[in-house]
Amino acid sequence: MAIEDDVLVVGGGIAGMTAALAAAREGAGGRVRVLSHKDSTLKSASGLIDVLGYAPRPAASAAGRGAGDGQSHGADDAENRAPETPLSNPFDAIPDLPDSHPYRIVGEAGVREGLALFDDATGDLYRGGHTDRNALVPTHGGRVKPTARYPASAAAGLASDDRDALLVGFETVTDFDAPLVADHLESVGVPFDAEGVTLRFPGGFRADAKLTRFADALDANERVERVGGAGYTETLPAREALAETVKDHLGDAERVGFPALLGQHAPAEVRADLEAELGAAVFEVPMGPPSLPGMRLEGALVAACREAGVRFTTGNPAVGYETDSSGRVRAVRVERNGAAIPFHADQFVLATGGLVGKGIDSDREGVREPIFDCRVAHPSDRYDWFEDDAFGDHAFARFGVEVDGELRPLDARGGSEFPNLRAAGAVLGGHDFAAEKSGAGVSLATGRFAGRTAAKEVRD
Amino acid sequence: MASTPHTVVVGGGSTGCGIARDLAMRGVDVSLVEKGNLTHGTTGRMHGLLHSGGRYAVSDQASARECIEENRVLRDIASHCVELTGGQFVQLEDDPDEYFEEKLQGCRDCDIPAEVLSAEEAREEEPYLTKDVKRAIRVPDGAVDPFRLCVANAADAQRHGARIETHAEVVDVLTDGTEVTGVEVRHDSGPGKREHVTPGERERIDADYVINAAGAWAGQIGAMAGVDVAVRPSKGAMVVMNCRQVDTVVNRCVPKGDADIVVPHETTAILGTTDVEVEDPEDYPEEQWEVDLMIDELSKLVPILREARTVRSFWGVRPLYEPPGTGTADPTDITRDYFLLDHDDRDDLAGFTSIVGGKFTTYRMMAEEISDHVCEKFGVSATCRTADEPLPGSEDFSVLRDYMEEFGLRSPIGRRSVQRLGSRADDVLKTGEPNPVLCDCEAVTRAEIRDAIDQSGTDLNAVRIRTRASMGNCQGGFCCHRMASELHPEYDAPQADAALDELFEERWKGERHALWGEQLSQAALNYALHATTMNRDRDPGDATVDFGAFDSGADDLHEEVNHGD
Amino acid sequence: MSDTENPETASEVRTENTVEADEFEPIQVFPESEEMDLRPGSDDCYKCSTCDTNCPVAAVDDEFPGPKFQGPEQWRLKRKDDHDIDDSVMSCSNCMRCDDACPSDVPLSQMHNTARGSFVENQMDKLSREYVRNRILANYGALARLGSKVPRLTNFVMGNSVVQKFNEKLLGITSERDFPAFADETFRTWWKRRGGVAASKKRAQDARAERDGANVESDDKRVAYFHGCYSNYNTPAVGKAMVRVFERFGYEVMVPPQRCSGTPMFANGMLDDAERAAEVNVRELAAAIEDGADIVASCTSCSMSLRQEYPELFDFEGTASVAARTYEALEYLRVHEDLEGALDDAEIDGEGDAESENFAYHAPCHARNQGLAGQAVELLDRLEGANAEDVGDSCSGISGTYGWKDEKYDTSMQIGAEMFDHMESVEGETGLTECPTCAMQMEHGTGYEIRHPLEVLEEALVD
Repeated sequence: MAIEDDVLVVGGGIAGMTAALAAAREGAGGRVRVLSHKDSTLKSASGLIDVLGYAPRPAASAAGRGAGDGQSHGADDAENRAPETPLSNPFDAIPDLPDSHPYRIVGEAGVREGLALFDDATGDLYRGGHTDRNALVPTHGGRVKPTARYPASAAAGLASDDRDALLVGFETVTDFDAPLVADHLESVGVPFDAEGVTLRFPGGFRADAKLTRFADALDANERVERVGGAGYTETLPAREALAETVKDHLGDAERVGFPALLGQHAPAEVRADLEAELGAAVFEVPMGPPSLPGMRLEGALVAACREAGVRFTTGNPAVGYETDSSGRVRAVRVERNGAAIPFHADQFVLATGGLVGKGIDSDREGVREPIFDCRVAHPSDRYDWFEDDAFGDHAFARFGVEVDGELRPLDARGGSEFPNLRAAGAVLGGHDFAAEKSGAGVSLATGRFAGRTAAKEVRD
Repeated sequence: MASTPHTVVVGGGSTGCGIARDLAMRGVDVSLVEKGNLTHGTTGRMHGLLHSGGRYAVSDQASARECIEENRVLRDIASHCVELTGGQFVQLEDDPDEYFEEKLQGCRDCDIPAEVLSAEEAREEEPYLTKDVKRAIRVPDGAVDPFRLCVANAADAQRHGARIETHAEVVDVLTDGTEVTGVEVRHDSGPGKREHVTPGERERIDADYVINAAGAWAGQIGAMAGVDVAVRPSKGAMVVMNCRQVDTVVNRCVPKGDADIVVPHETTAILGTTDVEVEDPEDYPEEQWEVDLMIDELSKLVPILREARTVRSFWGVRPLYEPPGTGTADPTDITRDYFLLDHDDRDDLAGFTSIVGGKFTTYRMMAEEISDHVCEKFGVSATCRTADEPLPGSEDFSVLRDYMEEFGLRSPIGRRSVQRLGSRADDVLKTGEPNPVLCDCEAVTRAEIRDAIDQSGTDLNAVRIRTRASMGNCQGGFCCHRMASELHPEYDAPQADAALDELFEERWKGERHALWGEQLSQAALNYALHATTMNRDRDPGDATVDFGAFDSGADDLHEEVNHGD
Repeated sequence: MSDTENPETASEVRTENTVEADEFEPIQVFPESEEMDLRPGSDDCYKCSTCDTNCPVAAVDDEFPGPKFQGPEQWRLKRKDDHDIDDSVMSCSNCMRCDDACPSDVPLSQMHNTARGSFVENQMDKLSREYVRNRILANYGALARLGSKVPRLTNFVMGNSVVQKFNEKLLGITSERDFPAFADETFRTWWKRRGGVAASKKRAQDARAERDGANVESDDKRVAYFHGCYSNYNTPAVGKAMVRVFERFGYEVMVPPQRCSGTPMFANGMLDDAERAAEVNVRELAAAIEDGADIVASCTSCSMSLRQEYPELFDFEGTASVAARTYEALEYLRVHEDLEGALDDAEIDGEGDAESENFAYHAPCHARNQGLAGQAVELLDRLEGANAEDVGDSCSGISGTYGWKDEKYDTSMQIGAEMFDHMESVEGETGLTECPTCAMQMEHGTGYEIRHPLEVLEEALVD
C-alpha cells in the first residue's frame, strides 16, 4: 500500500537533485524519489558553480546591530566588510572557515567529491574542472566574479583571458547594458580592451519579448527580417541575422559577449554558428532571472537523475511527517487540496532551499523550517536579523537548519532530531552564500554527502 | 523697491514649491533651494491623504473648513496627482456612539459632504472591512501623490522663470543686522542638475526677501538668522503594504489615537500613524513597536492586513508649531493650523518670514497667503492664480484613450503611465523607440525614466519619486540597476554606480522594517541577485586583482604546468 | 435555478439557441456576480519570472505577454474602478503550468480565470463571432449530449468537410481537426444497462471475497465516479475500464448525476456557465461523500477542476470537502491499494508477435499540476509486457478548446511540435495519456492510437 521508496529527497533544486543522483548511483537498484512542490530557484540563479570566492568575514562583525540606531549606515559596515580580493583557490580557504560552515562538516574531500559528481553529470555543458583555481567571470552588473565551474557558453568570456572583447547588448534586454558593463570591466583593470554596443535584436520582436523568446528563435534558427546596410530588408535565419547585425561593430575584438540568451536547447550549435559567421569566439554573460544557463543546468541534472533511475513527483507541498515508534521518520506528508498523502521511505533528505526557495519560512515572531520543525537559530529580535547597510553582514543570510557531523538536523536540545533525516543545500544555516559566493558548491558538497550517506544506510 | 524683487524660498516641500509657483506666476523673481530632493522632508514622508476635513471636523473646525475648500481646488488643478477615492469613518461595535454623532455633526457644520452608511453598505464599498463594523460616515477624502504634486508645482514655477535648486543646503542665512540679504548654500554637486561624483560648491544667493518654508527644519533656518522659531517636530510611522487592500480611505471613527487610518496610495495601501515628539527632525529612532502597532491595530479594522505583505515602512516628522507660551503637552493636541511669522514684526529682522505648521492639503492656501504678504511688501499687484490654473500634467485631459494603440503598450501599463503622466503622456511616451518596461512592479517604461532623468540628472531617487520606479513589491531588486543603466553614457560609469548605490541603499533603508515573511524572502532574493549574480557587493575598487592567478580557460595548459596544479 | 433540477437535461435549451448564430440570444454573464479581488495574491510574487519560462503560449505567441504580467502584475496595478483587462488574457490556454512553476504560490491560474471572466463580462462583444464560438466550445458537454442522441448521424455530419468549412468560416472553429466521434452507446447508458450501483456492489463483494476469502460488507470501499463529458459521450471504454478496475480491487462504484466539470468554461471566461455546472456537481458529489464515497475521476482536467478551480472560484457548501476527497483514478489506487504489487504480478501481451507493448506517454499539464506527472510511467514500469516512455514535459498544445479555435490552431500545433517529435522517437505507435483533449492532439499530430492508462490496467488486472 501507498508510495514507498528507499530514499526520499524533498526538494528539487541543485542540492536535492545532487543528493538523489548520489543516492541512486551509490545504492544501485534502490529506489530514489525527488519530491518537489514547484520549480526550484535554479532558474533564478546565474548557472555559475561558485565554490568559495572570498574568504570569510571577520567573526567580530557577525553580531547584528539593528536599525534602531538611526539613519547612519555605510561607513562602519563598509570597514567591517571582508577583504574584497577574490580567492584564486577556493580550497585553500576551507580550513579557515568557521566550524559551523557546511564545508567544514563535509571537509575539503567532500567538496571535491561534490564537484566530481557535478562534472560527471553535466559533461560538456560545464568547464573549469581542469584546475583547482577559480575563474573570474564577467557579470551582467559589470563586475568579475570568482567561480569554480562555468557554463561552456561563458568559457570564452573569462576575465583572465587577454583577448579583446566586444560586448553586445540589446535595446529591450534591460538587465544588460553592454557599454556600461564594458566601462566597468575596464575600470577593474581586466587585461583586455572591452567595447560595448547596444543593438536591436533582428526580427522585430515586441519590446516585452522575454529572454527565452530570443533563445527559442536562435534554437530554431527562425527566419527573421533584418534591415541590411543599404536600407533594404532581407529575411535570414536568426543566427545569421544576428551575426550580420553585430559584424560592423566587431573592430579588433577577438571575442564577442552576449547576454545569456543564446539558445535554450541547442546553445552549443547557436554559439558555433555565430562564431563561424563572426570569425570570433562567442560567449555569454550570465544573467539573473530568468536564467538560461540555470535552465540548461536544471535540464542536465534532471536528465542525469532520470538516467540514474531517480523518480520525480512534483506539484504538491510537503507539509509534515510521520515517525515510527523508534523516532525515525517513516513518511513525509504531502498536502493536496486538503488531503494528506504519505510518501514512505527508509531515508530522507531535506533539500528545500533557504528563504528564497521557501525551505525556511518566517513571520514577525520568528524563523522556522516548516516541514520537520528543525531548529533554525536566529536572533529573537527581528531587528537583529539584518544590518543597516544593504550589503552588510546580514544575519538573515545565514538562516538555516543546524546539523550534526552527518548533516542531521538538530532538535531544540542540540541532539540530532531524527536518525534518518539529513539536510543539504541552502536549507543549511551557517554560511552566507551570496557574500562568500558558495551557493552551488555548498549544494553540491552537502547534497552528495547526504545522498550518499542515505544510500549507504539503506544498504547496511 | 525693485519692480521684480528676488525672493529665495528655503524648502522644496509642498509649501515651498507652492510658494515658488505662486510668486513666479505673479512675475516675482524666485529661487527655491532645497537640501535634498523635492519632497525630501515631510512632504515625501506622508501617507498621501487628501483630507476632506473629516479628520478635523470635531477637534479643529477651522482646519476642517480649509481642508474641504482646498480639497475641491486640488481636484481641479492637480487631477493627475489626485485619486478621488472617497473615505469612510468607520465605527466598530465597541466604538463610542457619541463621537460618531459628533463627527457627523462636525462634518455638516463644516460643509463637508457626509453620508451615513450602514454596516452592509460600508462593507459593500470596502469588502475587506471587518465584520465588526457598526456603521460608517462617507466623506470625500482622496489620495494624492505628494511627489508628483511637488514636482508639478516646481516645474510650473520653472516654466514661469523660477530657479529650482535641489541638493542645495542652506548653510547660512545672510543678514546685515537689520535685514536678511540672502542665503549661502552648499551644492552637493552643481549648481544645476545633480550629477553624482561631480564636486559641489558653495554659492551665495542674494535676495530681497527670504521665505523660510523649511517645515520641521524651520527652527534651524531661523537660528541661522538669529531668530527663534519653535517648531515642535513630531514623528509618525507609516507602513506600506504591497498592494491595495482598500480603495477608499478608511479611518477609524474614534476621538484620537495612533494607527487609525489606511490610505490607498497608487498601487499600495499605507497604514498610519503614530505621533511622538522628537528633538531632531533628522535623527530619531524608527522603532519596531510602531510597525507592529500599525499592523495589530489596523487589522482590527481591515483583518486581511494581519497576514498581508508589507514592503517597507517610513517615518515623517510633522512640522507642528504653536505660539510661544501655549505649552501643549501631548503632540496630538497641538494645533494643525499654520502660522505666518513675519520676523520684521516679531523679531525686528526685515526681509524674512517663516511659515510653519499647517498640513499638506492646504499647502496652496498657505502659499497664497505668504505670496500675498510678500507681494504687498514689494507693491506687486498681480493676484494669485494658483487656484484656477491647472498644474502641468493636469491640463484639459480626458484619460479615456486607447493606450495600447497610441503608445504600443499593454493596456494596464499604458493606463498606469497615463495615470502618472496625465496630459504629459503624449510628450513622454511617444519616442518612436522600443519602449520596454524597466520597473515591472509599477509598470514604468524606459521613456518615462528618461524623461525623469532629463529633469533631475543622476539623482535616481528623484527619478523614483517622479515615476514610482523601484517602489513596488521587489523594492528595486529587479530594476535599480536598469534605472542606473539609463544614465549611461550621458553620465559615466562611476556616476551611474554612485547613483545606483544611493538608490539601492535608500530602498533598503525602508525595506528593513518589513523583513519577515514574503518581504524577507524578497530581500534574500534581491541580495542574491545583486551580491551573487552581479557580485555588486565585492567591487575591488582600487585594489588590484591579479588576473593571472585565475583560470583563463582550459586551453592554456602551459599555465597549468607553471602553477603546478 | 430551475435547470439544475434535472442535470441530465440541464443545458439543452440554451444549447439549441446557440446552434444558429443569428438567433443567438446572449445570456447575461455574471447576473449576480461579485467581482473577485485577487490583488492580495500578488503578495506572493517575487518577480522571478519562472512562470514565464514555463508558459507554452508565450513561447510561441509573441503577442502573449506571459503569466507574470497577466497575473500578479496586472492585478496589482488595478484600482477598483479600473476595468480594462489586457485583451491578451484571451490567449492564455489555461494549461495552468504557471501554477505548477511558481516557486512562491502565486494563485496564477485563479488570477487568469478571474481576469478572463471579467474581460468576457465587461469587454467582449456578446454578439461577436468569437464570443459565440467560445460559448459553444465551452459548453461541449451540452453539445455532445445532443450529438450523442444520434451518434452516427452526428459523426457523419461533423466529419463532412463542407460542415467543417462552415464551422471555420462562420464560427472560427478550425477545419484542420476532425471532430471526435461519438460512441454508439454512452457510458451512462451502459452503466444503467449493466445494473448500476447494485451490480457494482455485487461485483465488488465478489472481488473482495475472492481476495480475502470473506464476503464482507465494506462501507470503506466505495467510490463515486466522475466520468466527465468525454468518457461518457466519446470514449466510454475508459469509463468501463475505470469501473472494472475499481471493482477488481473491491470497490463499489457509484455514478452520481453530473454535469461538465467546467474546465472548458474556465478557459473561455464563461464563469457563469461554469458556476451553474459546478453547483450541481458539488451538490451531487457532496451527497456521495455523505454516503461514504471518495470521488474518482479518469480525466485529469476534471479532477483538476474539482480539486483546485472550484475552491478557488466558488463557495458552495461542500466545495472544500469535494476538493479534499477527489482523486485521479490511478492516484487513488496507488495511495489506497497495493497497486504496484498487483502490477508486479500481472502482465499484458504485446501487439502481434511483439514481446511488449510500447507506449509514448504524455503527462497532461493538468496532471502535472496535481503532482501526477510521473505516475503512469512509474506504474507501468512494474507491468510485464508494458514499456512506457515519457515523451518529455512539454505541453501538448491543445489545452481543451484552445486548439479548436481557428486563430489558435497554428499556435497549438507549434506548442505540440516538441511532443510530436518525442512521440515519433519512441518505439511503437501507441500513445498514452489521461487527458482526452491531449489524446486528440497526440492522435492529430502523429496518427497514433491513443489509450488511457486505465485501459492498460484493465487489460492487465481484469480477467
